[in-house]
Amino acid sequence: MFHFSTKEIKNALEVKLEGDLDIDGTEVVEDQLIPQLEKYRVISINFENVPFVDSSGIGLLMHLVQALQDKGIHVSIFNVKQDVQEIFDLLQLPEILGEEIFI
Amino acid sequence: MQSIVSKGKSVKEAVHLGLELMEVKKNEVSIEIIQYGTKGFFGIGGKNAVVKLSKQESNTTSRQSKTNSIDYYKTMEHLVDDLPFEQSSVFEGYPIDYAIDVSQKEMTEQELEGKAWVTDGTIYVKDSETQYPIVEIGKGVQLFKNNQMVKEKKTIVSEKDALEITLEDEQQDTRWNITIDQHKLNVLLEVNPGHTITRKLQDVEPNQQIELTVDEHKETINTLTYEDIRNKMETLRITYGINQNEIRKALETNVPSSYEIATGSKAKPGVDGRIELMVEVDTKNGLIEDDAGKVDFRELKMIPTVEEGQIIAIIHPPIPGKRGTTVTNEPLPAKETHPIVLKSEIGVTVVEDNIIATTAGRPFVEQRGPFIKASVIPKLVHNGNVDISSGNIRFDGDIEIRGEVEENMIVEGGGDIIIYKSASDATITTSKSIITYGNVTGSELSAGKSNMLITELGHLLGIIQIQVEKMISFIKQLSQSPAFKSSDFSRGGLNPLIHILLEKKFNSFLPLAKKYVEVTRKGEEYLEEEDWRKVATSIQQIFLTLSNQTTSLEQLKILSRKMKELHEYSKTPIEPDSYITISNALNSSLYCSGNILIIGQGCVNTKVHSGGQLKITGSVRGGEVYGRQGAEIKESGSNSGTKTVIAVPSDQKIRIGRAFEGTVLKIGHIQHIVKENRNNITARINSEGQIVFE
Repeated sequence: MFHFSTKEIKNALEVKLEGDLDIDGTEVVEDQLIPQLEKYRVISINFENVPFVDSSGIGLLMHLVQALQDKGIHVSIFNVKQDVQEIFDLLQLPEILGEEIFI
Repeated sequence: MQSIVSKGKSVKEAVHLGLELMEVKKNEVSIEIIQYGTKGFFGIGGKNAVVKLSKQESNTTSRQSKTNSIDYYKTMEHLVDDLPFEQSSVFEGYPIDYAIDVSQKEMTEQELEGKAWVTDGTIYVKDSETQYPIVEIGKGVQLFKNNQMVKEKKTIVSEKDALEITLEDEQQDTRWNITIDQHKLNVLLEVNPGHTITRKLQDVEPNQQIELTVDEHKETINTLTYEDIRNKMETLRITYGINQNEIRKALETNVPSSYEIATGSKAKPGVDGRIELMVEVDTKNGLIEDDAGKVDFRELKMIPTVEEGQIIAIIHPPIPGKRGTTVTNEPLPAKETHPIVLKSEIGVTVVEDNIIATTAGRPFVEQRGPFIKASVIPKLVHNGNVDISSGNIRFDGDIEIRGEVEENMIVEGGGDIIIYKSASDATITTSKSIITYGNVTGSELSAGKSNMLITELGHLLGIIQIQVEKMISFIKQLSQSPAFKSSDFSRGGLNPLIHILLEKKFNSFLPLAKKYVEVTRKGEEYLEEEDWRKVATSIQQIFLTLSNQTTSLEQLKILSRKMKELHEYSKTPIEPDSYITISNALNSSLYCSGNILIIGQGCVNTKVHSGGQLKITGSVRGGEVYGRQGAEIKESGSNSGTKTVIAVPSDQKIRIGRAFEGTVLKIGHIQHIVKENRNNITARINSEGQIVFE
């Protein structure tokens, strides 16, 4: 089951995602995660424990990052597994969201 | 008589040894010295002394010695050990040496010196003081000298060497393979029978240089069994069209070969429905120019006509194809056959597959793919001018106007429109052709309009379809990525993914899709086939709206296929015979899906759009003319420099007899302004995208 944990460092927040980022994770992200994020200026998302993604999950991630970027919040994504990164690259996610957010 | 040849370092020693061997005393034999021993130089080239001792006695002794052979050999071994010139106890050649000597049948020991030979698969060597025998190692032979394999082709051997020969036997298993071609129509069995090669060392006569050669015996063994083939075919599920004869041949073959062990049956394509025309319906290509470039307006071709009740055409139903079967016993569907879809319009009726004219008039049969439109078009002849008193003329057939078309009047026809006099500030529209004999001033002429629409939509669909096809293959590729879950496809469909794709990867797709939908909506009433609208609805649903409707890959494939069909269909023009032919035009607008021909003095300040070839035998002064399949103009521009644009697509040419300064040539998106007056130019675009003149 998809869940996440957060760790606050000054005014930055590290979000660690756990589990598959898929259609089942949609509610968790929309209802629980997004409301917590808006008060921080810097957010980094740890993908270390995300082994699988689906198109809904990617759509969700795009939506999340773009919404935060619009509010002037700096977002970065790190520790992406190689297989998952391949999918991101296939879908040209770095070009859509900005190359700099993938660390 | 028993005699022996004995060797020693000196004659004395040789005699002594010989006597001991014969177990006789010196006085019982006669001694013949064959060779005196020499010391040689540093041991090289030295020779043993050789003597021949002959015993003159009854045969009994010799028999005794033979029967007593075991002791004899014992003594021999003992002797051999003591022999100063034969240090090696592995010297295998000795007993035979001796036997030969004793029998005196073959070569003498002296003759054997420095030689090697092979008997019964064993190699023997006899040293000499002067030279070593040389052994050449032939193919398939391995010679071990003192337990080391000799790698060289030739080697020197001596009695002191422990020589051993091994022969390589070869064995090759039968190899075979069964392959099915991609259509599952042929199964090929390739057999490469195995073999064994057994080798035997050939006997070689004693010589200074010998070659070790082998007798090869090759035996081909085809171990392939019927069970092997049957099991393999079972795993491949080959059940249909098995050629037992070929299998049998494959089992018996001794040479590498391939056999078609099963053959499927191909599907036989059917024949689409068609119509057979019973009357002439071809519309002649209007006015034709003669060799001198003149057109005689009186030489209008005869328009074909039919009488009431005449059969125009016969409809032939499709002949269905025959289904084929693959070698795995799956049906191979024959290509689907389509019946023709007849849309009978005015003037015709269908009775038992016959299309019959119900009125007299001009028969008209139009075919595009499976769609047939048949009608008999009556002809309206208007004898006077078209003006306020006559009113606008709208007639679904050919129209012939003997007078003028006056200001603000409209003529709309379904067939050819012929105007004998001039048209001013008039609007003339038809889906076929327009011919005017008089001047066209301030008027709008449009011929074959729906054709342009189909062409445009077909062109758009061509591009869109390629993108959809790429999308399908991309989705397939993505689904195979190890970290990609396609679980949500079953619930949310492809829509979330499609939206991601449209974001970046296919970001040129949306404008095209929107344009297609928009053009379809605008031209809805002109689109006879419903498919254009259906595709527009699908595009709208899948790509343009955020609807909750789920989309499957199958739906995408169906859409892509439909698009392709429509694209192909659009390539066949609806009205290939549509044309506009006029003499002069002023401040007018001419639009035609086919060719436009202006055969009088030319056109002034007129916008001309031709979906086919544009040919102006006079001059073009001002305005913009476009020829989709090229433009040929006698004279363009003017001394006063009125802006004149001649345009063609990038793959076409512009030919101008005389181009005045300031004439603008537009080929594709590239523009060129003629700097000074030029004669006879032909402009086109080269591979670098620049306008060049031939």
